[in-house]
Amino acid sequence: MTLHQLFLADLGPELELTGETLRQACFAVRRNRNDWLLRQRTRGVIEMVAHTAEQWLEPVNGFRALALRDGPKETGWNQATLARGLDAFFGSITVESLEALVAQDLGDTRRLDDFGAGSAEHRTGRTSLAVGPELLVHLTAGNLPNPALFSMILGLVTRSAQVVKCPRDASFLPRLFAHSLAATESKLGACLELVSWSHDERGAPALEDLLFAEADCVTATGSDAMLAGVRPRIPAKTRFVAHGHRLSFGLIAKESLSPYSRKRLVRAMADDITAWNQLGCLSPHAYYVEEEASGSTETLAEELAAELERREASEPRGPLGIAESALIRSRRSTFELRSAAVASLTDRNLNRSLFFEPPATVRLWASPDSTAWTVVLNHDARLQPSCLHRFIEIKPVRQWDEVLRFAEPHRHQVSTVAVAAPDDRLPDIARRLARWGAGRICPIGRMQEPPAAWRHDGRPALGDLVTWTDLES
Amino acid sequence: MNPSHSALAGRVRDLIGRHSRPTGLHAPAGSDPWERLALDLFSLQHDTVPAYQLFCRTRGCQPDSVRSWRQIPAVPTSAFQELELTAIAPEARARVFHSSGTTAQRPSRHVHHAGSLALYEDSLRPWFAAHLLATGPGFPVGFRPRCLALTPPPGLAPHSSLVHMLEVVNHDFGGAGSGFFGRIGPEAAWELDLDATTTALEVACAEGQPVLVLGTAFLFVHLVDALDAAGRRFDLPSGSRLMETGGYKGRSRTLSRTDLHAALADRLGPVRIVPEYGMSELSSQAYDTGDGFRFPPWVRVRTVHPETGHDVAEGEAGLLRIHDLANVWSVAALETGDLGRIRGDTFELLGRTTDAEPRGCSRMSR
Repeated sequence: MTLHQLFLADLGPELELTGETLRQACFAVRRNRNDWLLRQRTRGVIEMVAHTAEQWLEPVNGFRALALRDGPKETGWNQATLARGLDAFFGSITVESLEALVAQDLGDTRRLDDFGAGSAEHRTGRTSLAVGPELLVHLTAGNLPNPALFSMILGLVTRSAQVVKCPRDASFLPRLFAHSLAATESKLGACLELVSWSHDERGAPALEDLLFAEADCVTATGSDAMLAGVRPRIPAKTRFVAHGHRLSFGLIAKESLSPYSRKRLVRAMADDITAWNQLGCLSPHAYYVEEEASGSTETLAEELAAELERREASEPRGPLGIAESALIRSRRSTFELRSAAVASLTDRNLNRSLFFEPPATVRLWASPDSTAWTVVLNHDARLQPSCLHRFIEIKPVRQWDEVLRFAEPHRHQVSTVAVAAPDDRLPDIARRLARWGAGRICPIGRMQEPPAAWRHDGRPALGDLVTWTDLES
Repeated sequence: MNPSHSALAGRVRDLIGRHSRPTGLHAPAGSDPWERLALDLFSLQHDTVPAYQLFCRTRGCQPDSVRSWRQIPAVPTSAFQELELTAIAPEARARVFHSSGTTAQRPSRHVHHAGSLALYEDSLRPWFAAHLLATGPGFPVGFRPRCLALTPPPGLAPHSSLVHMLEVVNHDFGGAGSGFFGRIGPEAAWELDLDATTTALEVACAEGQPVLVLGTAFLFVHLVDALDAAGRRFDLPSGSRLMETGGYKGRSRTLSRTDLHAALADRLGPVRIVPEYGMSELSSQAYDTGDGFRFPPWVRVRTVHPETGHDVAEGEAGLLRIHDLANVWSVAALETGDLGRIRGDTFELLGRTTDAEPRGCSRMSR
């Protein structure tokens, strides 16, 4: 199977995209939306999307096969990681989950179809209708495909015409998904346009400004610097939904360290670390462990290292760019030295001071002759962003709430906290994490598998896109 | 019993003396006095730098099993941030050179005393002179040019190895009017004293004698921006040279080397620009005369693959390892965080592995 040319991004870098072409594309998707998509019912659109997602789960599906065949070359993901990530994503896109999303964010599954009323509206004699933006523009980032794919789904549910701008090296999976939607229903594809350029290409700012002027709503995912650069360029009439850098971590209560629960826990931790090779905003940078008995955390770290070694055999991380490898190597060296220094404290030949300041106790487990995986047991509990690609720190704390202090510098970046705690402690832990600023709390092992209805960065993903029309009687 | 540090420093000095002019890096096969010296120095450093001994042990390396310089464990330069990688006793320490990292990080600390500083200076002089003071059109033999260092003076930047180097250059090679033209600005950032700089450039142009302007890339960007703001341009006298050391560290807008050099040629006239590569953890510097960076013959460079630590083939990208024999009282074998590519006896810099902000799904792609 090969892709025919359906979207502007299919034409690749040889296409010199002009402002006029882009304007015509905006006009076309907007017209198709008004002529067709706007007249569909929510249920019908959701069924088309869910059908497409279901097809992606079939091994014989052409789009899936193409994604797995060319994905490693086009995206840098190895096949196993890609297959697992796509399965998790498309598995979460069902009629039920999308209807739940609409009901949760808008109050009822039909709020995009007809004027209706919730009980509060009834009391005030009003009905209302939610309306999606006429033209929705997405600026997507590289790395994981999930955010871009899910943005497209949200736009379809709100019945918006959409232009999706992908980075040059990250248009492959969004294009495949768009083609698969068009294969389900060609008119769906006719309400979508995909374009691709790099932000530093000459002409990029002019094309982006054109999109911002055409759009009713712009969503953007990127670095804080990128978002700060885009924000002032958005016209006053256009809504702007920004998703910046996020990081996540795990928290393990002491009750979860019993030999019985530990086995399952270790597998769940490895699931989180290997999903998308730890590169998502929802992937863990560290696990905090409430340590009751001295050494219990060390056992956990050791078992996690053994599990990551097994995963490397069944689902290898795959090759890295040289700069990424070099960073892992450098981090490892630092921990290796600290660990050796701690081990040498009893050595009489090394009685002179070695360190400017004595380091916290550290132990390191690492894949031999490669950077495939690294586990660091680090008694310095300050949250330090990981260099990722299966590099994880395990940090013992005496009481779980010390974590709030150690993670404080990153508080406003935290997305997900995965928690393993007994049922009687979870409500208190969750309430305090929520008030501290965590946007999502989930079980360990499910960090990279948020449900379709999750509130992205703590905001209603669908609710943030629509506007409401009130009808007073 | 090991030979003393001073005895080995003497042997390094002999080596430096034999190579006061740029030549090939590698001695003929067979007898290799460089390697003999490297092995002796390794043995001494292993025994007298406790933190290095510890490092060697983590790599499972015993000195008597090391037969070739390539087997000598290379310490990551980042280890200078926390380990006392020095044979100099605390009471004998006279100077510490810090890396100019971001404020959030702990700086590297390279400890010196009178003996190690003297060797540092003996190492820097001949290679600097070979690249910045070579005779040529407008630049006669033995000429002492006016040296304009754009950094703050040593009194304001006592922990900068670059400033110390420029102090030595000004003292030993500089003519009348040489001096420092930078100062310390807000948040301890280096900045240019622009009035003093332009005055010095004016005087140099009026004199018609070649000048040397020495600074970091970001100070040169400040100079370009300031000249633009003032609507000024210079045509520096024929034979003038610029020494530019890389690095921005967020202190100015970032320009590619090509763009920076073009901007400098445009504002200062067609001067020769010589990029320099150095760091506080080293005692020697490399210069690029157009075909790549070249270290002096008492320094060897290799590139290793970060996954395996094995040497990569010539022309392939890898982590730069620098073996600087002039680092007698600390550690000679260093692994930098810089990616590079070796071609013949030169190397090309490909960038630094940065330990910056978290990269989640929001990473921007190219």
